[in-house]
Amino acid sequence: MADVVLACEGLKKAYGDLMVLKGINFKIEKGQTKVIIGPSGSGKSTFLRVIGLLEPPTDGKVFFEGQDVYSSDMDLNMVRAKIGFVFQEPSLFRHLTALDNVKIGLKVVLGMSEEEATEKAMETLRLVHLEEWAHHYPAQLSGGQQQRVGIARALAMDPDILLFDEPTASLDIELTWEVIDVMKELAEREVTMLVVTHEIGFAKEVADEILFMDDGKFLEWGPPEKVLRNPSTPRAREFLSRLLGGV
Amino acid sequence: MITLSDFLFLLQGVPVTLSISLLSFALGFIIGIPIAVVRQIAPLELTVVAEGYEKVMRGIPVLVFMLFLHFGLAGIVPIFKDSFISSVVALGLRSGAYQSQIFRGAINSVGRDQMRAAISLGMTRTQAFRHIILPQAFIVALPGLGSEIALLIKDSSYSFVLGVLDLTKYSDILRKATKSFIIPYLTAAILYILMTFPIANYLDRWGSRLKTKYGLR
Repeated sequence: MADVVLACEGLKKAYGDLMVLKGINFKIEKGQTKVIIGPSGSGKSTFLRVIGLLEPPTDGKVFFEGQDVYSSDMDLNMVRAKIGFVFQEPSLFRHLTALDNVKIGLKVVLGMSEEEATEKAMETLRLVHLEEWAHHYPAQLSGGQQQRVGIARALAMDPDILLFDEPTASLDIELTWEVIDVMKELAEREVTMLVVTHEIGFAKEVADEILFMDDGKFLEWGPPEKVLRNPSTPRAREFLSRLLGGV
Repeated sequence: MITLSDFLFLLQGVPVTLSISLLSFALGFIIGIPIAVVRQIAPLELTVVAEGYEKVMRGIPVLVFMLFLHFGLAGIVPIFKDSFISSVVALGLRSGAYQSQIFRGAINSVGRDQMRAAISLGMTRTQAFRHIILPQAFIVALPGLGSEIALLIKDSSYSFVLGVLDLTKYSDILRKATKSFIIPYLTAAILYILMTFPIANYLDRWGSRLKTKYGLR
């Protein structure tokens, strides 16, 4: 249990009368990569935002490294700093260069000096193969490059886990590959990752577990070969046969 | 035609007009940003105060406000015996209400994804406003701020009623001295246009250039 990074129990989220998450139990351990798939509107993004502490749950508990986040006196901002988030739409800060996008959290949140932050940010941009684009503004970068800067921005904070909310959903195919390649490299470096994506190739290759979400619950989960080849619920079978093109 | 000496005489009013306008703009800026931010993030009671301030300031004619400060409130607050200060304060407090609206619109245009990304890095909302939201909102606000400066330059002419020696007052003095009714006011009007147009135009173009550079909406 000591190595569980992020977990939740009985997690529920409602918007008004609409119950989006219907009581979810989940945990992810250090070094693991887990992939969430499921139809749109099933609650995947909401789950990520709630377990990533960007929105409070309606009911249930979220644990970060064993501690109940909402009932202890933890500083939520400091926990958020330990949870990296990569969004579906590249949400780079538009008035800052790629380098400054990566630096701002290091300076403002972690209190690094200008030199320290610059060094750390350049090092991280190198990991996503963008060091030569450091001084460009987001508007001058492709969608794939923006998304990689977004990954660097989250990664530079030395988070204990990275959450990805369909990071390639708004990209065309070649840009998707460059982002997926970076994510595979992270998985090889044993960065803990929880990824909502429909890039099944990525899931097959690096996921320790695939979870299928439908209607606010995880319907099934397990190693990729099991969930992808041999889903046990009709709902998952139907979804996967469409996703995989009738495999 | 206006003689050179008359023209130079009128020009003496220009620095006063510009001082009133720019000082009241600065005062409005200092008031406007906190009010705009308060209306976004503060608890309801504070929001109501901020909203009330905007409503009241937008509802009072600025001339009445100036007269009130200078002739009314000066008995209690002696600093308002100074007509220049009364003018700057009246224009500045009203400008705060208008600038707050300009900033509020600009803040809303920045987009929720920016706030969410800042929060996800562990920033507090205040840090997010300071480092992420306001710098972008300022760029979006530039054209609006340009119009606001232009408005203040024109409305600073009300200070003439309090006896401030601004461009309007000088043109009135010149009218009495030369018995010419057209030239002094016409020259003053042209000088006002020469002040307002370049400033508004410059901020407008500066804003568009930055918006393109940063890909802001």
